[in-house]
Amino acid sequence: MAAALTVSWSALAAWPHWLIVLILLPLGGAVLTPALYALQRRLVPWWALLVAGLTALTVLPLLWRLAHEGPFSYLPGGWARPYGVELRFDEFAALLAAAVALLAPPVLLFSRRYAARAVPAGRLPFYYTLLLLNLGGLLGLAITADLFNLFVFLEVVSLSAYALVAVGGRPVAELAAFKYLLMGAISSLLILLAVGILFALTGSLNMADVAQRLPALATPAALTLAAAALLVGFMLKAALFPLHNWLPEAHASAPGAVSAVLSGLVVKAGIIGLVRTYQLFAGVELLDTANLGAILVWLGAASVVMGSFFAVFQHDLKLMLAYSTITNIGYIVMGWALASPQAMLGASLHLFNHALIKTTLFLAAGALIYRTGLRTLEELRGIGRTMPLNCAALALGALAIVGVPPTAGFVGKWFIALGALQAGRPFFALVVVFGALLAAVYYVRIINAFYFREPEQKAVVTAREVPWSMLAPVLLLALLCLGIGLLARLPVEFLEPAVARLLDGRS
Amino acid sequence: MLPEMLLELRPNLDYAAVVVLFCIGLYAVIVKNNLIKKLLGLNIMETAVFAFIVTSGMVEGGAPPVLGPGVMPPLASPLPHALILTGIVVALATTALALALIIRIYLQHGTIEADQLRELD
Amino acid sequence: MKKPLVIALLILLALALLAAMAELPAVGQADAPVHTHVSARYIEQGEAETGAHNLVTAVLLNYRGMDTFGEVLVLFTALCAGFAVLLAAARNGNKHYRQPPAPQESGAVPVIAVSPVVSFVVRLLAPFIALFAAYVILKGHLSPGGGFQGGMILGALFIALTLVLGKQYSARLLPVAWRPWLYALAPAAFLVVGMIGLQLTGYFLGYPQEPAWHGVREAMMVTLEIAIGVGGAVLVASLFLALESD
Repeated sequence: MAAALTVSWSALAAWPHWLIVLILLPLGGAVLTPALYALQRRLVPWWALLVAGLTALTVLPLLWRLAHEGPFSYLPGGWARPYGVELRFDEFAALLAAAVALLAPPVLLFSRRYAARAVPAGRLPFYYTLLLLNLGGLLGLAITADLFNLFVFLEVVSLSAYALVAVGGRPVAELAAFKYLLMGAISSLLILLAVGILFALTGSLNMADVAQRLPALATPAALTLAAAALLVGFMLKAALFPLHNWLPEAHASAPGAVSAVLSGLVVKAGIIGLVRTYQLFAGVELLDTANLGAILVWLGAASVVMGSFFAVFQHDLKLMLAYSTITNIGYIVMGWALASPQAMLGASLHLFNHALIKTTLFLAAGALIYRTGLRTLEELRGIGRTMPLNCAALALGALAIVGVPPTAGFVGKWFIALGALQAGRPFFALVVVFGALLAAVYYVRIINAFYFREPEQKAVVTAREVPWSMLAPVLLLALLCLGIGLLARLPVEFLEPAVARLLDGRS
Repeated sequence: MLPEMLLELRPNLDYAAVVVLFCIGLYAVIVKNNLIKKLLGLNIMETAVFAFIVTSGMVEGGAPPVLGPGVMPPLASPLPHALILTGIVVALATTALALALIIRIYLQHGTIEADQLRELD
Repeated sequence: MKKPLVIALLILLALALLAAMAELPAVGQADAPVHTHVSARYIEQGEAETGAHNLVTAVLLNYRGMDTFGEVLVLFTALCAGFAVLLAAARNGNKHYRQPPAPQESGAVPVIAVSPVVSFVVRLLAPFIALFAAYVILKGHLSPGGGFQGGMILGALFIALTLVLGKQYSARLLPVAWRPWLYALAPAAFLVVGMIGLQLTGYFLGYPQEPAWHGVREAMMVTLEIAIGVGGAVLVASLFLALESD
């Protein structure tokens, strides 16, 4: 029986078109959403949930094949590389795809009741459309192996993200969305400029082909500019210090489910971009990658420290979470740039785990705002008594963001700290510990406000738990925050060869 | 150092124009106070990058990459043109959304000057 | 105070950019990698492999069809983003919504009086503009032109007609019940053509190359061109209507 199951699984996974189905499902689903709204508006949230669920299922055969065969490609149009656009499913694409698959269904389930209140009725179909476009764009960006195609999918992600920030119609959010758009557009242009330079130098757009041709070039300034433009562009997208200014307002003022997607997944697009940049330039000897790495390590460390400091002093719960995103992006970038196997492993793990934790936190915070309309810790005092389950989920998520073992946040940070020691740079292990200590401070602030203070606001006293369709995804994600830390062995074994390959300069 | 660089740049003077355009656009984005002027600056930057990529596909004395009777090689490279057609659509989309946001900001706050908006916060 | 600093920084940036640009292959040099690597194949075999005389079309719809699929998705995203930002926020008890400041003069919306000359000229030219748009869309297959360019002409025509004839007319030109389907048209056409390609060649967005199938290949590409054109026109028209609605 087990053998038969294995055989049918591998037969299923061998179907060559899963990779294209992975992006066609959410994008096609998004395209039909406005029309479905015109026909039967009540079905739209369920439709979006169905599409997200199917997309999540599609990831399974892909992961299976990746685990058994290693990275594989799909060639739309059948043109061999570098003549067409290549899609490629490698371990880093798998990380982001798995995060999207795991988080999209809970976010959309949560959205059904939440968005009905947070988003004006006329905009609702476009809220779901944009969410699906955003998720589909993220998947496309993760799996594309072509520089220009990466830019195009990045734009699908960015445009939908700008609009999603403003979809709730709060004046603050519209200003934040414009600021986000301006920064995002500049970063996209830098990336496009770099793509243009690389194209002029190599005549190719396929990442593997470009990476192969770059080492033969004798143009240090042009290569440096291309690398710098890509780095700055993706750092802006990922909101790494000192390019983080746009993030807190945008993520804090967006509707809760949107904040979850933006903070959990969309900033990771920048990280994936940084990984791709590294893969492009790893073999180039003209370029001083060690120096670039050193800059990135310090910027990552600065992000950790500054993000934590700002987070500690916030009164607004969502602003606190938004600053904590900057901290965690700092961990991930620092881990990558330390370029020791364990640090890179930790960064990859944390990319996934942070997505999970931050989604939990923002959804739980969104649920609090849904019931009370209050946003600051002072106003929310004592909410732990009236919404115990939701607050327990939030507390669990906060524990995970501090990095207490055995929660999800622990594993990644642990490996990053180990990696810093492995690289012979214990200072950065200290940064990890320091960041965790500061995170503990705001964790205590949250717990203190929720559980150890008397409720003052009427809205807090009369609050009830949110409906089950909102509470269930929050609780499920919170349990995963707790449980996934215990299952860390599996992804570690999965990612180790990928990291080793990356360090060898083979993509 | 500078004169040498300029000498080296001579065959690539077209690109120098692109650099100037890019910096003018960035200047407008950073310095201008009016949100629409910032957006115009962004559009200038976009134009610069598009011009750069299209220029890289040019061939001295080349024909457009449209085949037909009497069209002789060398032909300009079709790839940059195709890329920039997509790029233009992206720029259009970004501009449209930005203008929509500006309209909303004006409706909500009654101004689109960046410094006045900061004071309102 | 801020300006000189910005200018100084921008000059530094410009120098860095110039230094990099100086190292690129000379503009127009025929043996630059841009011309010898991937493009060479497009130029030499593009017509035989794709059936398009316009090699830009060949790259756009065939070799790099995924990019163009992404392009129509960006258009669709922009459309939805515009709606998500612009559509009335007043309903649904949104307590954050503030009434827009009332216009200074009396009369809610300033009515632009259209002179009879303008109105006449626009109406006179409309069929010719529409014909030209169709020409640009279809001719793009063979010579300069293409779906997006033609679509923009069509969209501009729609705006001109709405301004001249009023919104009642635009509802007749672009029926409300059709609109959500028209938004979806361009990406959906890519999905359908891509799937047909999958059936015929085994690759998404693949085109059959055997001589017997050339008609089908032609039809697939023309379908995409028309869909891109209509999609672009609908984007421009709908965003214009959404802007007007508030």
